[in-house]
Amino acid sequence: MSSFLKKNGTRSVLATIISILVGLFAGAILVLVVGLTSNEIGLKGAWEGISLIVAGTFSTGRDAAGALSFGFNPQIIGNMLFRAVPLILCGLSVALAYKTGLFNIGASGQYLAGTCATLFVALSIPAGSLPKLVIWLLAFFAGVLAGALWGAIPGMLKALLNINEVLACIMTNWIAANLVTWMFDISNLKNAVEGTKTGYIYKTTYGLVNVDGAWTYQDGLGVSTSKLGLDKVFPGSQVNGGILIAIIIAVIVYIVLTKTTFGYELKACGANRHAARYAGIHDKRSIVYSMAIAGALAGAAAALYYLSGNTELYWSVYQKLPTEGFNGIAVAMLASCNPIACIFTGLFMSAINLHGLQLANLTAYNEYITDVIIAVIVYLSAFSLLIKTWISGRKKVDKPKPATDGKPNPGKGGAA
Amino acid sequence: MEQAPEYVIEMLHITKIFPGIKANDDITLQLKKGEIHALLGENGAGKSTLMSVLFGLYQPEEGVIKKDGKEVKINDPNDATALHIGMVHQHFKLIDVFTVLDNIILGAEDTKLGFLQKKEARKKVKELSERYGLHVDLDAKIEDITVGMQQRVEILKMLYRDNEILIFDEPTAVLTPQEIEELMAIMRGLVKEGKSILFISHKLNEIMEVSDRVSVLRKGKYIGTVNTAETTKEELSSMMVGRPVQLVVDKDEAKPGEAVLEVKDLTVPSKIHANNAVKNVSFTAHAGEITCIAGIDGNGQTELVYALSGLEKATGGTITLCGKNITKSSVRQRSFAGMSHIPEDRHKHGLVLDFTLEQNLVLQRYYEKEFQNAGFIKFGAVREYANKLIEQFDVRSGQGPITIARSMSGGNQQKAIVAREIDRNLPLIIAVQPTRGLDVGAIEFIHKRLVEERDAGKAVLLVSLELEEVMSLSDRILVMYEGEIVGELDPKKTTVQELGLYMAGAKRDNGEKKEDQA
Repeated sequence: MSSFLKKNGTRSVLATIISILVGLFAGAILVLVVGLTSNEIGLKGAWEGISLIVAGTFSTGRDAAGALSFGFNPQIIGNMLFRAVPLILCGLSVALAYKTGLFNIGASGQYLAGTCATLFVALSIPAGSLPKLVIWLLAFFAGVLAGALWGAIPGMLKALLNINEVLACIMTNWIAANLVTWMFDISNLKNAVEGTKTGYIYKTTYGLVNVDGAWTYQDGLGVSTSKLGLDKVFPGSQVNGGILIAIIIAVIVYIVLTKTTFGYELKACGANRHAARYAGIHDKRSIVYSMAIAGALAGAAAALYYLSGNTELYWSVYQKLPTEGFNGIAVAMLASCNPIACIFTGLFMSAINLHGLQLANLTAYNEYITDVIIAVIVYLSAFSLLIKTWISGRKKVDKPKPATDGKPNPGKGGAA
Repeated sequence: MEQAPEYVIEMLHITKIFPGIKANDDITLQLKKGEIHALLGENGAGKSTLMSVLFGLYQPEEGVIKKDGKEVKINDPNDATALHIGMVHQHFKLIDVFTVLDNIILGAEDTKLGFLQKKEARKKVKELSERYGLHVDLDAKIEDITVGMQQRVEILKMLYRDNEILIFDEPTAVLTPQEIEELMAIMRGLVKEGKSILFISHKLNEIMEVSDRVSVLRKGKYIGTVNTAETTKEELSSMMVGRPVQLVVDKDEAKPGEAVLEVKDLTVPSKIHANNAVKNVSFTAHAGEITCIAGIDGNGQTELVYALSGLEKATGGTITLCGKNITKSSVRQRSFAGMSHIPEDRHKHGLVLDFTLEQNLVLQRYYEKEFQNAGFIKFGAVREYANKLIEQFDVRSGQGPITIARSMSGGNQQKAIVAREIDRNLPLIIAVQPTRGLDVGAIEFIHKRLVEERDAGKAVLLVSLELEEVMSLSDRILVMYEGEIVGELDPKKTTVQELGLYMAGAKRDNGEKKEDQA
């Protein structure tokens, strides 16, 4: 009995690995073609490009002779862990919704709502008026709550008016984009002094202080996520405790979905709303809960990203929805929507992004090649079911059909 | 085996093995020219597999297929078509938005320079439909015609391709009684014109009526072939199930106790039309009695049950369960008040098909202390409970409690629902069409369990469309017609004919007889 489950699990993992390998292979071909058709790059440069695409995480730059060198690079690995946080959480957001029968394409909007709430709370509480940890927690939960509310809107539309959540999510995404831009536009949070950059919101490390009766921001007085000693392990990187929080949240999501009656209700409702109603489960409430929790996860992604202390928001990019929300779909699909697997696929997507940066830093290529790789992987992960069938080979053809049960199918014409 | 030219198709010693099961084990089937040959077996007996082998969808591990005495190899459905073998599937393979004619010629179109030659096709189809009495409207779209006419389109599709051997896979499952009569006549007409028919079914009445010979399969094995004229329903059913089956429910006199469910002036609006689907219905179901709501499909039974179970809101009247007014209660509150419900549609309401069997077996009880602790499911307790029900109710499945419900056969899915609802041990059981689409073995089992529950003092409210079931299982019959209860009958004192008159609205209890034919 358990051997079948194991086999099914193995097939999912294999399908994911095949998607990744084919994606990398496609990227390698692209690198090769670009290299060979370019005067500056050539075959040697192309080979360097391919090795960075595959193993950029372990790149240590170039040695004295000018050749690429590889080894343990704590800075890159630390950055990979840091950038994985929003990807893992957005992946969880999509995965949880999917497991409960909903397609959350609104993670981007929920992420923006979380961004807005987190930054407003973190930057509006005067430094010193509350302990830093309390301000951090308030800002974090403000982001989570805002994401939850933003996710609950399409949830309610679906539950009460039966409006498809995909349509509602697309609309709430753009509402969030414009609303958040406007709110930052009228706010006092715009940082006009840091260097020559304009259009940025203060980092959360800036604290609001009253100097001689005027409110102003000073760097270092604000809040940021604790490093929890990770900066000692990965010196020079942006890593902080956020990755541990993301992993803990993933485990909690897994436990809620698989071990609790609450998760059972959500899944029953997603798999068959009518049967859930028949069993006395509040189907409408369950749908709203699912979307709200999905939104909360996307909100947490934004909160952890912007509370890191080394990230700043360019507020006037309203035409562009944050890519984390859409990459979350890829993370979830690649993980077959398993919350634990989302940790690993989130890390992988983060690594691929960094490989692109390495490619741009160390060679004449630009980093957009990694977008192609991610695109191929996303396409293939959507085909993972097909790939699973390939793996099991001919068995699919020979699989016995479930016996027909003679259930009448009156068709559209109806019986005369 | 000696070659016998009188057979058009012979499937000799066919064995087909799937991982874990022998779906067909040394099966021999011989179809004579110009006969209707029925293939009888329970769900999962191997009928569909055998036909898939004949149709080229599966390759058998052993055995040969002969056409007109010559051995043939059928590698895919195209080979089958070339051998003039055609099949009407249980679920029709028609394109809803195409016309009847387009559907018939689809895949076998005549073209000239790439243009369709519909005129000739139309002529040929017209000829065929007249010759065999298959009346269809060639220019109507499939979505606009009745199921019976859709089936005639499927038959014409086979005839258009000059098929000689026609396979009908459970053709009556989707038809009304009148349409079944019509189909039987068509089948007789087809064999008269020299076609040979393989008729797959588990409905004994139809097989007795229309077939010449019957081959019986059981659990993948060939049991035997008999001439229909020389056999009885009882013999066939015991061949099919492997033991004598009681076709009539064996039960003692009911001992009605106190009222469990009292319905007063219940009114439920219709979702389809502006009128009420249930109009001022009042009745009482007593402990220790099987009360049956009989009627033709669509006369308000579904809406009545939805209102009783809390899936829909009633707009008027009261429902009292065990002395408690539950008219406005939620589904779960009604559960607590003592109602269990075997729903009409096992796929829509009864099961979460993508859940495992054990998850489905606790669908109504997962929140009870026995199965959860502080919101965490007790997996051990769930498994133990599932195993207990599976054993008690003989629910068969590939992998026991962890089988995905979708992969189970219809009969076993239904048994799982019946097990879940009966084991809740509540004073009222609402059973809506509890045996729909099941084979005789499963029907017998479910009837027996319902009678046992009655004898244990439960009130059973049975809603059924099958006249035989109504007559044999119930202690009291309430007939529903156009949303009203038009008669209360005693099954021991009434006849099927009289019941039929009530169901058709030709007769009602308040003395008035609309059209007295009795």
